[in-house]
Amino acid sequence: MDVFVTVALVVTIALFFDFTNGFHDTANAMATSVATGALKPRVAVTISAVLNLVGAFLSTEVAKTISQGIIREGDNGVEISPSIIFAGLVGAVLWNLTTWYLGLPSSSTHALFGGLIGASIIGAGFGAVDFGVLLSKVVLPALFSPLVAGAVALVATFAAYRITRQARSRGSDTGFRHGQTVSASLVSLAHGTNDAQKTMGVITLTLIAAGYQPSGTGPQFWVIVTCGLAISVGTYVGGWRIMRTVGKRITDVQPAQGFAAETSSAATILISSHLGFALSTTQVTSGAVVGSGLGKKLAVVHWGVVGKIATAWVFTLPAAALVGGLTAWLAITSTTGLIVVAVLAAAGAATLFVLARRHPVTHENVNEPAAGNEAAAESATSGR
Amino acid sequence: MHTPSVLAAAASGGSFLGVDWGAFVVVFLVSFAAAVVIVASYALGLRLLAVGSDDDAGADGALTSGRQGARPAGVTVGAYACFALGGAAVLYGLYLIIPQFH
Repeated sequence: MDVFVTVALVVTIALFFDFTNGFHDTANAMATSVATGALKPRVAVTISAVLNLVGAFLSTEVAKTISQGIIREGDNGVEISPSIIFAGLVGAVLWNLTTWYLGLPSSSTHALFGGLIGASIIGAGFGAVDFGVLLSKVVLPALFSPLVAGAVALVATFAAYRITRQARSRGSDTGFRHGQTVSASLVSLAHGTNDAQKTMGVITLTLIAAGYQPSGTGPQFWVIVTCGLAISVGTYVGGWRIMRTVGKRITDVQPAQGFAAETSSAATILISSHLGFALSTTQVTSGAVVGSGLGKKLAVVHWGVVGKIATAWVFTLPAAALVGGLTAWLAITSTTGLIVVAVLAAAGAATLFVLARRHPVTHENVNEPAAGNEAAAESATSGR
Repeated sequence: MHTPSVLAAAASGGSFLGVDWGAFVVVFLVSFAAAVVIVASYALGLRLLAVGSDDDAGADGALTSGRQGARPAGVTVGAYACFALGGAAVLYGLYLIIPQFH
């Protein structure tokens, strides 16, 4: 009975994590399309949701990304119990909701890793975590991703403006909007094949650990369906707060910039994962937006906003680890402790949703620049 | 597209801090080249389609209005060739994303 309760809780929170992952990452593919008017907000999230769902079914490989060797499992490692996975997910969900409330794009994958790492340390000691792998697989790629995408998008934006006479030649804005729709859709599809897989991996890991499924088997069909649905519903609900930051507050994205940024993101994401050096989607797209701001004559990049985003990235892993660790400390004691933690986590999540309602960002006001951005809007106009 | 994998294989010898820097440089260069070529060619296509329109812009960005002429056929063909390159890149992207194709 205890095992069943634990597994049910893990599956529930894993699907909820998948949901937050979806709505956190809508901004990756669609923020610039919404900002430039290439797609109406509702249309953008619908396309992204459908492509995420399709992506979840496309990839048949079992998501082993989750462990990726950071947490030492197996014979000479530690036993990862469902309680530890549960605690890790609580850390990831709460951090995802916090950054969503603040309107900051941050990597859901890092939040998940952070939560699991924190929970494993509490559950099994520091030896459970391979810090070398952590550095080479998570920390350093996180530093490169925005730099690579930013440099690529900078030159691409410059070229796009140069060739189209500062986007003044006839039909260029419309043309860039069409192009951007296509490259943003590719980013969405790539996202679906990656991120839904992570939750499938977590749920499958739990079912195996609890003895409900033989080890070495892939995700069951109901797991694939529910994960795909959770991420696409999350995407459809849309993280409008984050979209506003990426599309309007880093820099006021214009069609040529949006096209250059999304194409650079799509190219960087696809090529890096193809060559086996996967870079984070969130960090690539955010970096590309900054690059597209730098590549346009007289466009303003708000470094204050960029700084806040960078700070959030630095804190993502440790913060999620801290929450995951605290949760693990309570949760591994007993089933009662686990349920207490579940109630506390639900209360924390509800608090953030209530707080967010005080200054709601919806599909209606997603394109409003922030207060104090008038200067930016002005110089963007004069630069055309 | 055989060059990148050859380069990656050749460069994968050196690693520092557990990071394969050769692979990283290859990822950077290939992404850079691909994105810049695709964006530039798409922009060039748009620019070519605007040739001869009554509000085409001159080199300084100023409008050269009033001289409405037909667009030479070669220019139109060039524009569609540019878009075709973008279309091919999208198809290759789909090929990379969808594992059933490999």
